[in-house]
Amino acid sequence: MVNLTPEEKRVVLFLLIVAFCGVVLNNLAKLNCHIKKLLCAETCLIRLNLNRISLEELLKTKSLPIKISQRIIDYRLEHGGFSSLDDLKEVKGIGNKRYDKLKEIFYIE
Amino acid sequence: MKRLFSILVIFYCVGIILVNLVWVNFWTISGCAVIVLGMARVILRKNYIFFVLTCILAFLLGALNMKNSYILPKCHISHLVYYKNDAICSLTGFIDSDPEIKGEQTSFVFSAKKIQIDNLKWACCGKVLVKMDFSQDLNYADSLILRGVLRRSSGFSSRSCSYQDYLSRQGIFSIMHIKNSLQIIPQINKDGSKIVIFSLWLRIKMEQVINRYLMDLPAGILSAMVLGQRKAIPWLVNNSMIKSGTVHILVVSGFNVGIVAFIINLLLKIIRIRRKGRIILVAISLLIYCFVTGATNPVVRATVMGLVFLLAHLLKRDPDIYNSLASAALFILVINPRQLFDVGFQLSFSSVFAIIYLYPKLKQLLHIDNYKIIILRFVFEGFLVSFCAWIGTICIISYNFRIISPVTVLANIFIVPLATLITLCGFTLVLCGLLCPFLAGLVSTTTAMLITLLLNINAAVIKIPGAYFYF
Repeated sequence: MVNLTPEEKRVVLFLLIVAFCGVVLNNLAKLNCHIKKLLCAETCLIRLNLNRISLEELLKTKSLPIKISQRIIDYRLEHGGFSSLDDLKEVKGIGNKRYDKLKEIFYIE
Repeated sequence: MKRLFSILVIFYCVGIILVNLVWVNFWTISGCAVIVLGMARVILRKNYIFFVLTCILAFLLGALNMKNSYILPKCHISHLVYYKNDAICSLTGFIDSDPEIKGEQTSFVFSAKKIQIDNLKWACCGKVLVKMDFSQDLNYADSLILRGVLRRSSGFSSRSCSYQDYLSRQGIFSIMHIKNSLQIIPQINKDGSKIVIFSLWLRIKMEQVINRYLMDLPAGILSAMVLGQRKAIPWLVNNSMIKSGTVHILVVSGFNVGIVAFIINLLLKIIRIRRKGRIILVAISLLIYCFVTGATNPVVRATVMGLVFLLAHLLKRDPDIYNSLASAALFILVINPRQLFDVGFQLSFSSVFAIIYLYPKLKQLLHIDNYKIIILRFVFEGFLVSFCAWIGTICIISYNFRIISPVTVLANIFIVPLATLITLCGFTLVLCGLLCPFLAGLVSTTTAMLITLLLNINAAVIKIPGAYFYF
């Protein structure tokens, strides 16, 4: 028999606990859709909502100069919000390169 | 004196700092070193004076190495590049880093071997940062001929640490922009180190396992924690972790190196490999892991410390943690003394030093070992480690990032144990994915749940009033 130290026995226990938790969570996720929220983070934790962000918050992202940030806010006020991220391309000063960067930071809701 | 080596390394660092502040001729320092060396030879028997002279020699050695790092070879590519020069040149060489793809742009470090400008050819050396406006399937060690305009890197930061300084610390003094694929001519042969090629292949396999079993966000976070690949971490997640002072969990550190050593040792023990063989194989695995994660400063520090411990274990001697930390610092600074001014280097060494110096003292002061409730003891120990690391890094963080996060200690109490669990699950997932895929599905569910919990706790912590402030 393999002679394991107490630490190594703890590793075996850890593996079993992880596998056990996995089975239980899998099962619960199938039965209850609320449990699924435990397995994937909400979008608001990963990206900023472009339809709710203020000019100050927009500037804090350091992804845009002041002029373009102001244009985004103006566009939102004019059109009643963005319907999709593609609308960003209609804002003067946002080309393909900047758009690629921005779509990783913002989302639309 | 038990920690003579650590003292010598401190003097070596002081030498680097002083030469960076005051201009002194290389040969003047060399002359001083020869005189001190001669004196040390004469006063070999007087211990105290000999010790002082040895410290001065370590100081001069640091200064000389720093001076030497400013001097580039005559054939260095930076000597052929001027600020205003639009001549198109052809560079022959190989890709010396893993190409980084961001959207439509690709960048990599290119080791130049030959350069051709206006029908004139020269053999050259040195690194060039290549930026491409399109994506192309390129890999480390690919031999290429690049055609384009070479420019010197320029600094565009108001702070003391500019982009130019950052690049020069990596030995890069020139940049080439490639706008279309016609400017790249691939060659058949491959250059580069075999161990790096193997490590990158292994990293791709490990990333594939992580991406197969987890969704985008958890996969990105796990890749950062286990493999040191931070490219898939969303901006908001990174930013909120900076605010809570927990961004260090997204960096591969000594803890990861310890886990790798432990897992490999355990696996080798199960297949009944003897002690000496196990130590050697663990050391090789640590080196490979260092390359897998990109050999950043924290990983190199942890790897060297790990190797010192393994060597001590092999020779059946007690390792000294201060000396092993000093040897890690010396290893990095001998290769590139400019790394002393790198924020990553400073944070890594200051946090470890603060933990190993302050933690035992505070633990003794608060009589934590006397606590009978294990969970309470565990929480207090976690708090103390976080507190020590925070104390050790607060000045560097506030100077460089202009942020103070009083919430860091509280956040770390919850986040560090969670991050520990996630890292353990991450390694388990990678191993299961490679060795027994039927188990990987179960491990991935638990890992995803832990990562979601971590993000929620982090988001909650930074909402506390006064959690952080910029100045």
